Amino acid sequence: MKLFSFSFLIFCLSATFAQAACYADYKAKQDNPLRLHYGVTEVRGDCSVATAEAQLRDSLAHDGWQLLNVLGVFDESGLEERRDSAGEFYLRY
Amino acid sequence: MSFTSATESREIGNRIVVAGIAAIVLVLGVTAVLLFMSLPDANAFNMRVERLFVENDTLTGNAEIKLLEILAQSGTAFSDTLASYRFVIFVLLIFATALLVTAVAFLVMLIALNRRMGRIERQGIEVNSLLISRDQKSVYLNDFEFKLTDAALETLSVLAEARMDDEVLSGAEIEGVISGRDPSDCDEAAGATRIKRLRDTLGNQLVSELLIKNIARKGYMLAIDKNVIKMV
Repeated sequence: MKLFSFSFLIFCLSATFAQAACYADYKAKQDNPLRLHYGVTEVRGDCSVATAEAQLRDSLAHDGWQLLNVLGVFDESGLEERRDSAGEFYLRY
Repeated sequence: MSFTSATESREIGNRIVVAGIAAIVLVLGVTAVLLFMSLPDANAFNMRVERLFVENDTLTGNAEIKLLEILAQSGTAFSDTLASYRFVIFVLLIFATALLVTAVAFLVMLIALNRRMGRIERQGIEVNSLLISRDQKSVYLNDFEFKLTDAALETLSVLAEARMDDEVLSGAEIEGVISGRDPSDCDEAAGATRIKRLRDTLGNQLVSELLIKNIARKGYMLAIDKNVIKMV
């Protein structure tokens, strides 16, 4: 019983993670003077590049950034390797 | 006849001047447009860096991005230089236009002057100034001074005043003005005599000044260049 509940917990957690854990990395810029950044963001909803683009465009524009492109989507296993590159823009938007 | 041709040539000259200046302005204007268009856009460098950044998926490191930004900034610094170049080119083009326009104007002026000089040389004497000095009883034609008798001076003054009013006087009218009588009472021949006397005194002095010189205690000599003399 205890084992069962534990495995159920794991299952539930992994299920929630499987649904929520969608991330995208992107490139953005600012003009005059030209500033560039590479960032990682969490994608809410459908886990696709198009969703990530739509979602990023607004939040980036709010801070004066312009989205250049979204490189791709990935789950949490790809997070750690991108943490250093993204720097201050790691999961910021 | 020569008057019409002179007017025509002046009109042609004016047309040439206008056409020349228009051509210069046009050519330099086109040059300016082409130059400004061929100058690279100040943003070109930024756009290159941006494309580099987008096209290379591996360029994501912090240090690499910083490097790209520095590249772009040096490009922006260069674009300031470009702006100053643009200004310098603009100023130089304006200078060039002004110089060429003056050159054309001077060229045409030179041609006109040459023609006029030629005409003057053929005409012999062209009167540029006529100054009648009553107290010195003399008349100055250009730089030549001629002594006149009172009567001749009077006739010349009457003629000069009539010329200023663009009037033509008959002999009787001349006599009438000088003697103060009504022209209808005057004899045509009296005025003609006055004109003849004026011509004689003035013509005599003119010829002696311009053609037959009297060298004191030596004799007489033609006051012309010996190369222009031809015997037929």
